Amino acid sequence: MGTIAAVTTMTTIARLFGWRGRGAPVEASALGVAMIAMPMAAGGVLPAGCGAVVIDTGGRTRRAPEGSRLQLAPGESAYVFHPGPYTADLAPFAAAPEIGLQVSFAVDNPDPRVAQQRFDLFLASEAQGPLALAQFSRAIEAALQRALAQGNLDLPPCTSPAEWNAFRAGFNQLLYVRFGVTVEECVPVDLGESVDFAAVLIARTLAQQQLAPAPVLALAAAPVACPARAMIAAPDPLADARALRRLFLELPCVMCALRLAVLPPGLLLFRRHQDVLRRLDLVSVAVSTMPALALAAPGVALAAHQQLRRIHHSRRAVGALDEAWALLARLQLSGAAQRETEFDGLFDDAARIVANLEYELGERRMATVDGAPA
Amino acid sequence: MSALPDSAECRSLLADGSVMTVTATRRPRFDRADVKCNAAHAPQLAGRMLTVVRLARHTEARFDSRDQVVISIDRQPGEHERDWELAVVLADRMVRGVYRPAAPVLANGWSDDWQLGRVDGRDTIDAPAHALLGGPGGLAHLGMLTGQPDAAAAVASARAWFPLHSGGVHDSLCWVEVSVYPAPHDGNANHGEEGDSIAVPGLDATQQLAVRRALAGARHFDVRGLGRWRSVVRFGQPRFHGNSFELALVMADRIARGREFVPRGRIIATGCSSAWHAGRVDPVDGCAPKCALILRHAAPGDRILLPAAWASGLDAFVRAAAEKGASVACIERIGII
Repeated sequence: MGTIAAVTTMTTIARLFGWRGRGAPVEASALGVAMIAMPMAAGGVLPAGCGAVVIDTGGRTRRAPEGSRLQLAPGESAYVFHPGPYTADLAPFAAAPEIGLQVSFAVDNPDPRVAQQRFDLFLASEAQGPLALAQFSRAIEAALQRALAQGNLDLPPCTSPAEWNAFRAGFNQLLYVRFGVTVEECVPVDLGESVDFAAVLIARTLAQQQLAPAPVLALAAAPVACPARAMIAAPDPLADARALRRLFLELPCVMCALRLAVLPPGLLLFRRHQDVLRRLDLVSVAVSTMPALALAAPGVALAAHQQLRRIHHSRRAVGALDEAWALLARLQLSGAAQRETEFDGLFDDAARIVANLEYELGERRMATVDGAPA
Repeated sequence: MSALPDSAECRSLLADGSVMTVTATRRPRFDRADVKCNAAHAPQLAGRMLTVVRLARHTEARFDSRDQVVISIDRQPGEHERDWELAVVLADRMVRGVYRPAAPVLANGWSDDWQLGRVDGRDTIDAPAHALLGGPGGLAHLGMLTGQPDAAAAVASARAWFPLHSGGVHDSLCWVEVSVYPAPHDGNANHGEEGDSIAVPGLDATQQLAVRRALAGARHFDVRGLGRWRSVVRFGQPRFHGNSFELALVMADRIARGREFVPRGRIIATGCSSAWHAGRVDPVDGCAPKCALILRHAAPGDRILLPAAWASGLDAFVRAAAEKGASVACIERIGII
């Protein structure tokens, strides 16, 4: 009994003085297998072969030296990550679940030419808690599906070798620019082993049959259904905060990379480039001066449905930000290959994305929507 | 790629037999609403149009806030009529270049789930033959305009197009649609012939046999094709000769079964085979006229599949198709690369 009491007292004291498991090894067994990165407390020793990214309160990042004990200033947090390689199966089309791509990717050695590694920025702005491989590959899959649906990448049926190479180049660049990982291998695979499309269809039929009697029971179920709907509609302030944090951290980096993009000479293109940068600057200002979610005016609370509308728009603004990263990847590829004819379409897309950012942020700023203007 | 139109029209048949015209125009948005609907003396109807258009836009991949689309109708449908909804959705898509029909469109259909892209039904009973009708048996899903399956439906169906060429003025592209349902599982994998589970309504006996043989062969080539599905094959036009539809049929089947990459636009294919079980594609007749016909109908995002034997001497055709936004592949066999 005495020993247990002594241990408890010691733990309490340790907690009181902020000795958080000094020297305790991080749960490293899953790192590099099912986990890409996980948070790490100060004083921990970096596992062999892993890197660490230290993030301060303003979202600035630095790398901790390898194999050292982690030293953190107040307010800083850290992630330890394993560079991989990792393998994931992706379904490029939601409508074709039995055909996919097997992608193997890794977090590459830091590129000394850039001030901030893209993967560090990804951890700072998007990782919440431990970053699992499954979660990361879902994000990659969503980016891939979106690029294919918009026609920015092409993976048509009966792909010819030339088309496959063009797809690979675009996909590699997309993952590097958007997530900071390098694709080592990517091959088409048959996902029939893991996904049975017939079973998926049967499950959908059953789900529809369960839904079908609902209208008959609607009268009886109505009082129960209403609170449920109210619960779904409760605004989630965290989603808004995360979206704005991503915009705040990533927009300056998008602008910086866009400024550095190699463009063919020409006054018209230069003007469009400058115009996009100028508008992005204003968008950036709009993000950093965004009003609080729950307030219509200082001291005046905002109605819940208006908060929901604001959250909706900030999430769509993040969607436009993702498109901006994808566009940056295409710009860099076209610039490197000197395909000058493509720049007209690329800058048209850039103008569209910036217009969407301006629109969504303007809607996010508004407290009320009074009567739709003509 | 061709420039976008400034305005587009889509017609719809009303319950009293008159034809309503839906006009959509596009103009810079300048801080105005993204969609505006006009219906004379019927604000409720305009509100309903706005809801329908906004919901249907949820199924599109590309959002552009630079334009405002103004949609107006020239006649007033009855109080409880809903059959005009599809025409309004299509007019909105046409003016933004999302849907590019070759001929003027007359469309009827309504839906309770526009946000999913489904078209649940239509009310009209005496529509002309060229009309685009929503609902089961017609256009059940907006993706079906380019042949894509509905990613959330319990029945997977996909379309592919093939050129119908006879040298006359009626040359056109004809679609073939394959719908697959999971076959009831009875334990033993090799029950019956694959051909027995394939229904081909509306075709004569020899053509039915050809369809069944091609599908069964192609599914044999695919390791997971046999004994899993009940299928229904329909053609846009039941009277045709020859077997150049086979490649389109096989591609539609592969997409419906979720085993092929999905193109952004339509698949336009011509080709046959005497050895589908080996996945081989053999050449067919009429290279020059069929290529000219395909080129006339090609739209951005379309995928054109031709037999490998045609590959030589198609450079001009490939360039012309690329200018229209379509891509061409001359293939020796089906499957991945």
